[in-house]
Amino acid sequence: MLEIKIIKEEKYSILHLEGEVDASNSVELDSSIQGLLEEGESGILVDACHLEYISSAGLGVFMSYLEDFQERNIKLVIYGLKEKVFQVFVILGLDKLMDIKNTKEEALEEL
Amino acid sequence: MIKLPNPNIGKVSLLVAVLTWLALLFVDITRIFGIINQMESGVMPEVSFILEIIFFINVYLFYNYNISKNEDNDFLNLIWRGASTGLVASGVSILISFFYSVLGDSKLASDILLKNFFYHVTFALISLFLISCALLWKHLILYQKSKNIVKQWQLFEILLLVSMFFIFFNKNSLDYSFLFGLVIITVFSISLSINLKWIPYLTFKEKWKSILFLVIILFSVSYLFGQVLNYSESELIIVNLTDNLFLIGLFSFVFFYSLFSFLVTLFNLPTSSVFEQKLVEAINFQRLSQSIKPGQNENQVLDILIDSSMSAAYADAGWLEIKDQEDQTVFLHERFIEKNATHQLFRHINAQKPFSNFDWEKAGYENKVFQGKIDFPPYKSALIIPLVINQETVGRLYLVKEVKDGFNKEMVNIISTFVGQACISVENYRLLNEAIKNERYKEELKIAQRVQRSLLPKKLHHDETFSISAFSVAADEVGGDYYETYPLGPRKFAVIIGDVSGKGTSAAFNMSQMKGIFHSLVQLNPSPSEFIKKANVALGQCLEKNHFITTSFYVIDTEKKKVTYSRAGHCPTLYYRNSDQECDYLSIDGMGLGILRNNLFDEYVHETSFAFESGDAMLLFTDGIIEAKDEAGTEFGYERLKKVFKSKYQLSPREIHESIIEEVYSFIGKNVVMDDDYSIVVIKFK
Repeated sequence: MLEIKIIKEEKYSILHLEGEVDASNSVELDSSIQGLLEEGESGILVDACHLEYISSAGLGVFMSYLEDFQERNIKLVIYGLKEKVFQVFVILGLDKLMDIKNTKEEALEEL
Repeated sequence: MIKLPNPNIGKVSLLVAVLTWLALLFVDITRIFGIINQMESGVMPEVSFILEIIFFINVYLFYNYNISKNEDNDFLNLIWRGASTGLVASGVSILISFFYSVLGDSKLASDILLKNFFYHVTFALISLFLISCALLWKHLILYQKSKNIVKQWQLFEILLLVSMFFIFFNKNSLDYSFLFGLVIITVFSISLSINLKWIPYLTFKEKWKSILFLVIILFSVSYLFGQVLNYSESELIIVNLTDNLFLIGLFSFVFFYSLFSFLVTLFNLPTSSVFEQKLVEAINFQRLSQSIKPGQNENQVLDILIDSSMSAAYADAGWLEIKDQEDQTVFLHERFIEKNATHQLFRHINAQKPFSNFDWEKAGYENKVFQGKIDFPPYKSALIIPLVINQETVGRLYLVKEVKDGFNKEMVNIISTFVGQACISVENYRLLNEAIKNERYKEELKIAQRVQRSLLPKKLHHDETFSISAFSVAADEVGGDYYETYPLGPRKFAVIIGDVSGKGTSAAFNMSQMKGIFHSLVQLNPSPSEFIKKANVALGQCLEKNHFITTSFYVIDTEKKKVTYSRAGHCPTLYYRNSDQECDYLSIDGMGLGILRNNLFDEYVHETSFAFESGDAMLLFTDGIIEAKDEAGTEFGYERLKKVFKSKYQLSPREIHESIIEEVYSFIGKNVVMDDDYSIVVIKFK
């Protein structure tokens, strides 16, 4: 089960993820990010405080936008990852390519 | 041994009846001779009565057998048989009367012998006619059998049997007891005569015919009854055979049943078409509900639908509008209307309320009906019913009539039912097709599974320095886990384990690409880091944007007793060191293949090596093992795996991987479906 909420702030949007991202619902995550891009959002915070699990398909979604973001100068920062979920990013090496912060404040600074 | 011929009841009873009649004639003639010659013949009238009863019973048996043998007789045939017998009987009787009227007052006219002979012939014909009719009526009465009717009929038969013997009691005098018996039989006859359930099944034409036949029967009955009364008054008749309660009772029964049938059929004539229509509708409904047979298609059902609906509504024209695969609507099965006119009428109708309210996208159109006035001469009213399959409107049925408000509630109801049934038939047909297709896909997947299993190595390369064992199982039919070994030299081996992102078929395809890349690159005898870098370049060309592969690549040099390795985002290998009896994950930085598809990737590739010692053991695995969850959602996890491995290190590689898999399965429990592929490679140094 995955619940995605988008909270729009003045200068950025927060993508609130709750539950598990797996092969069956990674498409939803993808279309949410796609939607924000089409709206021309330049700063995206991913609130992962309630993200319990992310499968390789879910990681693939974040990965697929890395180049796009760089080219279009868009910032995506993930914060609040649980240790277990964070380890998944680390093992894959994604922590080196993505902005991952502990708290929302730190993430906001990054923007 | 003499074989007795199988007695044929029909033939035997006919023969006996004929013989009895002859005997009766003989006995009575003998009696007449006695009277003429003024001699006592000594033959009691009872003999005649007994012969008469035997005659009745045999005629009864004959017709009973004869009619029930011809089971396929339809109603009209039955009535015709009665009518034709009646015609013959009254015809002969008329001829006899005509004969006497020609004779006039001649001596022959009062000849007692001739008169009695004709009397016997008339008697026989009347008996045949009445008994055959009574049995035909039995057939009609018992057409829709119920226990009560059968009982009632049996009682009536007993009553008739008793009435045959009444003659011994009453000696042919028309007294009160005779009248009383006649009244009982008549009342019984009338109560039986209400069983006319066969009449509605006749078509309009058949009803007319049966009315004609019934009139013939009624005429015959009345005429012959008149004849009987005539004979009764004649003084020339020696033994009165016809003033018999049985025969008179039958007159009454045949007459009343014929009269009732006649009247009911007559009054049923105006409503006959309604019954016929309902019958046709029932048959149409049945045709619609029969699932489409192989080799037929939906068109057939739609064809039946438009025909059934047109006939149910007495519509003057109609057609179907059906969505095709490209969501374009096409007109099908136009009835009594030209293609051009259909288009004009279509536009006219859809511009009109309430038809303009129709919306293809709107849901909930099951049992919805659009009906109203139109002004498109000669058509004055229209009816549209949407065809809904699987909650989606797939077409519309159009019916138009040349009268205003031409569609009444019953018509609309029955057509709605037709449409509903046709839609169910089409839906079933589509589901069946889909099921067949799915079955084919399943077969294809089985083939894919076989092919993929063959991509995993059957033999793992090694030498006497170490032993190796591996295991892999996919969550779906096919999976994305991969492992393999390759001899780089006589004492140098490459070992790879990999996991493709995602699962199922897409993962399986990428896994086979990975195998191809492994086999190409390994020919170049690469170092682990070289392998990872080159594999990333190669996969960068062919992996989809959001897919990646994690892998660990090991080179085991048994000569130098050294292991060199690189990790590309794959879960770290577990290593058991025999010297300090400790177990740890080999941590080294690395990034998954395909995540970064440019030169920058190389910066993230690291390589390291260590010396192995005898008794050391390595456990390579995929993240399916770590992420396996039990019912409560707890992951198997790195710590648990480490603990299990540490407790089993002394076993052989095969035993180690078996016990780990067992541990994982018992951890997730029986009720949890595995949702990722599990793979394990165990290496043990000697």
